[in-house]
Amino acid sequence: MKRRLRLPRYTIRLRLAALYGGVFLVTGTLLLAIVFLTVRHSSHSAVVSAQGTVARLVERQHGGEPPSPEGSLSVAPEGLAIQRVQQLGAVAVNVSNSDLHQLLTWSVVALAMMVLASIALGWVLAGRVLRPLQVITSAARDISATNLHERLSLAGPNDELRELGDTFDELLGRLETSFEAQRRFVANASHELRTPLTLERAILEVTLADPAVSAASLRAACERVLAIGEQQEHTIDALLTLARSERGLERRESLALDALTGESVSDRREQATRRGLRVESKLDQTPIVGDRRLIERLIANLLDNAIQHNSPHGWVEVATAVEDGAAVLTVTNSGPLIEPDELDSLIRPFQRLGADRTGHGDGHGLGLSIVDAIATAHGASLAVHANAAGGLQVEVRFAAPPARPGG
Amino acid sequence: MRVLLVEDHVELADTVATGLRREGMAVDVALDGSDALAHLALTDYDVLVLDRDLPGVHGDQICRSLVAGGSEGRILMLTAAGSIEDRVDGLSLGADDYLPKPFAFAELVARVRALGRRTGTPAPPVLIHGDLRVDPANRLASRDGQRLSLSPKELAVLEYLLGADGRVVSAEELLERVWDENADPFTTTVKVTIKRLRAKLGEPPLIETVPHGGYRI
Repeated sequence: MKRRLRLPRYTIRLRLAALYGGVFLVTGTLLLAIVFLTVRHSSHSAVVSAQGTVARLVERQHGGEPPSPEGSLSVAPEGLAIQRVQQLGAVAVNVSNSDLHQLLTWSVVALAMMVLASIALGWVLAGRVLRPLQVITSAARDISATNLHERLSLAGPNDELRELGDTFDELLGRLETSFEAQRRFVANASHELRTPLTLERAILEVTLADPAVSAASLRAACERVLAIGEQQEHTIDALLTLARSERGLERRESLALDALTGESVSDRREQATRRGLRVESKLDQTPIVGDRRLIERLIANLLDNAIQHNSPHGWVEVATAVEDGAAVLTVTNSGPLIEPDELDSLIRPFQRLGADRTGHGDGHGLGLSIVDAIATAHGASLAVHANAAGGLQVEVRFAAPPARPGG
Repeated sequence: MRVLLVEDHVELADTVATGLRREGMAVDVALDGSDALAHLALTDYDVLVLDRDLPGVHGDQICRSLVAGGSEGRILMLTAAGSIEDRVDGLSLGADDYLPKPFAFAELVARVRALGRRTGTPAPPVLIHGDLRVDPANRLASRDGQRLSLSPKELAVLEYLLGADGRVVSAEELLERVWDENADPFTTTVKVTIKRLRAKLGEPPLIETVPHGGYRI
């Protein structure tokens, strides 16, 4: 087997350590160079000044005359002293040169050791500084859809890494919320789809298990199963509409929101009258751009919602208008009192308030979720308010179309 | 066998209750969590068929409070969330069994019966006393090889008396364990059923009346 030499990975830690070493090397070299030059300069000038002193002594001895070669041969006691001094000066120059050389050698050795030490220290320090990153990395590796509730909660000073950790935690929080919504949606969808299946099956099996079953009860069971099947169809249609509208718009065309609303209102007028409801509409011209089928579904869901969740002899008010250039559809209805904190849950899929959930009315609990999804796909905002006297006001505000010249 | 069915869907609850009653079980229905708790406070049920996803008090909470209260009743959880994690969750809460929706009605009955056998003293699936043979799961009763045609209620009374294993069972106890909450406690319905049962069982008499006590086999 061949053994391959493995180079250490070129990690940030390694780079930081190398950087510390490099910086130390450069600054250390600079520092040493300055010290070396200063020392050399000062020792040099000491020698020079010593030589100057000697020269002045020589001058003084010769009474101002320049020293002649003969003069120097006739050695006076003072002259001997001067010669000694000159020799000493030469020795001093030699000594200072060898000192400087030694200083240089030791400095280079010390610098090399210090560079090694600073690389080692840099390695340790980088490890310490980068430890939160390691924590974040291993946490990110461990976190999956099943343990999204876990957080890093990095301790320590409020620095960049802590900020990174906190940002990561916030991201996890948002992911958790959206996963939770998704999970709840699947749970609700499976509840909504499986309950009628269970019911169908139970009705058929219980009826068939009766040995003395009559034709009439068989017929009743069949009719019930048919009705449940129809209800399932509505639920599946609604789920598909929801999925489609969450995917975005397939087509965009110019539509008259007021005309579409008007049609939808007149389709439902009879149904509303049967329930003893008064329907009023005030439809100003409101052009919008969107997908006709989805906009029709949005209006229909809002109206159905207003009619179904109403009180006896109640009212429904529908209005379309252009406000600040934005098309606005408002549906207001009387009805049972709704707590403001229940409003948010109304838009969530399969949320029905109170007893609505247990019954098997016409609602499938997706109405307002679909409205919300369609509005979002059209870049419109949905606002839901609870009326003080009971009932609901839903406002869909379409974004103002870009102004066209002459339009 | 006394069964409490907790299910928020009215029609499903009615249908399942009808089916279980036809199997000779005494079934009470609760449509939400708080109603279920009220029922549980009044009566000791042999089996609780509990829909997990209940409005108001959640099914899990009922399960927990029942287990914490040391109830003898067995819990069968029903739920539309049929993933393995959900089942594990439900069972770790203290449920004895778990049935995902949609379920086969025959399976529900078999599971309720199996759980019912485990309450109190464990009973065999087929009860035999001398020449009398009672198979509650298949709703069959025979004496001396002769098939007896018994109504679900008569079969349930016979099953309960055989399960008591020679102990004296009062009329009140029979009413409590075999009839559901809709039975009027001041009627002679127990007496009438016992009388009819005796006639169908034939000679020699099996059910003995203990004066001021009740009945025993």
